[in-house]
Amino acid sequence: MNKTVSIILILGLAITIGVFVLGGNETASEQSVEIRDGIQYVNVEARGGYTPRVSLAQAGVPTKLVMTTTGTFDCSAALVIKAVNYQNILPQKGKTEIDLGVRASGETIDGLCSMGMYSFQIKFN
Amino acid sequence: MNKHKLHVAGTHCASCKILIEDVLGEQDFVRNSSVDLKNEIVEVETREDIAPEKLVEILNNKIKPHKYFFSVEKTAKSAEGSGVIWQALPIGLLFLALFFFLQKSGVLNIGIGSEATPVTSFIIGLIASVSTCLAIVGGLVLSLSAKISEDNVSDTRTFVLFHSGRLFGFGLLGGVLGMVGNAIGINFTFTAILGIIASLIMLMLGLNLIGVMKNKATLPSGIFNFFRKIEHKTLTPLIVGFATFFLPCGFTQSMQVAALSSGSFTSGMLIMFAFALGTLPMLSLLSFGSASFAHSKHAPLFFKSAGVVVVGLGIFALLSGLAGLGIINPIFNI
Repeated sequence: MNKTVSIILILGLAITIGVFVLGGNETASEQSVEIRDGIQYVNVEARGGYTPRVSLAQAGVPTKLVMTTTGTFDCSAALVIKAVNYQNILPQKGKTEIDLGVRASGETIDGLCSMGMYSFQIKFN
Repeated sequence: MNKHKLHVAGTHCASCKILIEDVLGEQDFVRNSSVDLKNEIVEVETREDIAPEKLVEILNNKIKPHKYFFSVEKTAKSAEGSGVIWQALPIGLLFLALFFFLQKSGVLNIGIGSEATPVTSFIIGLIASVSTCLAIVGGLVLSLSAKISEDNVSDTRTFVLFHSGRLFGFGLLGGVLGMVGNAIGINFTFTAILGIIASLIMLMLGLNLIGVMKNKATLPSGIFNFFRKIEHKTLTPLIVGFATFFLPCGFTQSMQVAALSSGSFTSGMLIMFAFALGTLPMLSLLSFGSASFAHSKHAPLFFKSAGVVVVGLGIFALLSGLAGLGIINPIFNI
């Protein structure tokens, strides 16, 4: 194979991989957040990754994270949230409530799957 | 003249030195031999006078099964040696791109019922073997297999032992989980650290396969002894197969929980065994595929391409693992 052709292919493929691995829509969602009876619920769905990837929540309100699984067997079921010391494998199907407490403005909570390739964020304003 | 300086071709690893010296030591007429890997030179001391050409002929006959080649004059390095990397890089990257595309496409996110039966476990195993778990378990299997095939040892036997160890280990540990019910909580941090070790091994073997580390930086001897054991003993591939149970893979972890809550030794064993059986086709394709490529004329290209794939997966697994432990911020968005 010609070296020049090869270098062009390498660059093209490297960019493609970069887009696959790093890219994606970072649009923050407020729809997944609701306040009921003075408690803020942040809904995140776990299956083959997390949706929404970024949730915007209000600061200064008692907050609960609600993880929804729908036949989830992949890594997103093995959830780690360092900020609240949470490490657990979610049930394959169902809803799991995790207490996040009251958060200050500007705080961000990261949720990750145990292998680290799926993640989500909750931003408090 | 009883001392001879011969050139040797085909050395690619530190253990080659030991192997060549072993083979030479077995010959009656050889008093002493020492291999200089860096300069690809073998010094042979014989008991009687012998013409260098004659010596080379005899020794080449003995060493042929191990795919080394002695010569009196230094043979010109084949031109393809350096060109291969330019073919291997795009091939390796293409496989990486396909792998990440598969993850991104969402094809693998099909919902499977909430009940883990042996049949669903088998299907989950099939999916897991091409999922992100492939990055770590598959990458490790590919790098070890390619390395073992490259070293020309009895690879088929090693692979059969590895896969048996894996199936047996999953069955047994699944059974234990089912029986014990809860006592063994498989610790996230423990699996994450294991994953980081696995990804470092992958990076090392990958660079070695590409040829970057060849002869320049020989690996610490402890690690090499470890590989020599993998290659030469019966027990080690079994144990390594067994240990893959603890490697980080979300699917494996979910199945472990399913086995935990299954309530009995038999059901826990069936779930984990069926899961491991589901991962078997892909993993055996990787190991036996490596072996058949390694013995074909495309071997140099295969090793380098496999090296590129393994390094890519290793970087991915390492950065993910570090993010999983909270050491760095998550960077991937698959």
